[in-house]
Amino acid sequence: MREIIKLEQLEYTYPDGTKALEGIELSVFEGESIGLIGPNGAGKSTLLLHLNGILQGKGKVEIMGLEITNKNLTFIRSKVGLVFQDPEDQLFMPTVFDDVAFGPINMELTKEQVSTSVKKALREVDMSESVRRSSHHLSFGEKKRVSIATVLSMDPEILVMDEPSSNLDPRHRRELIRLLNQTSITKLIATHDLDLILQTCQRVALLHKGKIVAIANACDIIKDKSLLDRYGL
Amino acid sequence: MHLPEIDKYSHLKSVFHSWDPRVKLVSFSFLILSIAFLTHILSAFLGLTLAVILIFLSRIPFTFVLKYLRWVILFALFFLIIMPLTVPGDRVLELSFLSISYQGLRLSVLIALRAISISMILFPMVATMEFHKTLKALEKLRTPNKFIQMIMFTYRYIFVFLSELIRMSTAAEARLFKRRTDINTLKITGNFIGILLIQALERTQRVYNAMTARGYTGRIKTLDEFKLSWLDYLKGVIIIILAISLNFARFIR
Repeated sequence: MREIIKLEQLEYTYPDGTKALEGIELSVFEGESIGLIGPNGAGKSTLLLHLNGILQGKGKVEIMGLEITNKNLTFIRSKVGLVFQDPEDQLFMPTVFDDVAFGPINMELTKEQVSTSVKKALREVDMSESVRRSSHHLSFGEKKRVSIATVLSMDPEILVMDEPSSNLDPRHRRELIRLLNQTSITKLIATHDLDLILQTCQRVALLHKGKIVAIANACDIIKDKSLLDRYGL
Repeated sequence: MHLPEIDKYSHLKSVFHSWDPRVKLVSFSFLILSIAFLTHILSAFLGLTLAVILIFLSRIPFTFVLKYLRWVILFALFFLIIMPLTVPGDRVLELSFLSISYQGLRLSVLIALRAISISMILFPMVATMEFHKTLKALEKLRTPNKFIQMIMFTYRYIFVFLSELIRMSTAAEARLFKRRTDINTLKITGNFIGILLIQALERTQRVYNAMTARGYTGRIKTLDEFKLSWLDYLKGVIIIILAISLNFARFIR
């Protein structure tokens, strides 16, 4: 299997001096789903922001065999779809259509390709009916689903999600799980929803104070109560 | 708290709702400019009448228009009070140390009529289409992209910041905070605004991250979705003729 994400000795310190990541080593293989768990402030979101070059720390980040540099950022960003924790940050355009079309248009797709990808992505998250609605009129759960569609429309090779199930009602959470299991693309999911991890991921990495303290089969980690207790989960 | 929604009535059906946004913006802008340059009371009064007719034709409820217009009326009222007393000219009335001049009165009425008419015309112009269509029309009319982005983000995030403000107010009220006219209320309101600004700053960075993650390189691109017909041009011509006619109304005897 091809190694699609490779992190080597990744370190990141915020401008205020807070050390967010330290010595991160991680390899993710094509088609694999990896869960990232850890208490608040463990560095999960910071780690995800490195995967499409929004943050660039010390160490090496390789995506599909390419080390992230300023020159290949556009390519990397078209391959790594990043779903942010707060949908208000992800939905900035006036309508749902414009928001979902934002990525495909920046990828220089044709008008027809953009329309097709927007329709497909919205259908996958059960939001086809809302294509013409204003993003700010949606409920939080709807915003969450549309923000997932904004990334699916770019047809990424890697899907990176920060708390994808937060604020989703049980039906749409189930549908999200179905969607994640249906798609064969590589996934990296940071969440506190351990049940979602169990249902969607093969491996889990446990982060604590910016370091990966355990990485193993999802079942083994999530059923290890003493390990979870030790790291505040 | 009331959330400002300029496109609340964009779903209605009227001659203005079906109008191509680009021609609509250009035609109404021309009308607004022509009203701004009116120098005669009669023309300005006709301008106000035209504005009322246009609102009527747009089917936007007058109550909605008045809700926004009250601030403009307040502004105009200020001129109506100050100018007759301060602009020198022929005295119409004298009350002890105060004297009202004809020229001041005329100028204040003219300013008030023009301001109210222009504000009213903005409703059939902007409120008859969804806000994103206004932005797209501006883009098609070659308005600088940075300016459009500024309007877009301001409008989009007004709702987010207002809901954050509501959340903070609710949290404060839940802990027995009551608004009064005292130093404590002023201090807490100041804190609210400060926190809101910090949150805005942090959100700006997160939104920028989300944009760059989806390929943003400084320019927002959207898909073209407008189609022009002869009816759009006809409506434009009618509005422009009306705008020009207003300037000739002073010759009516």
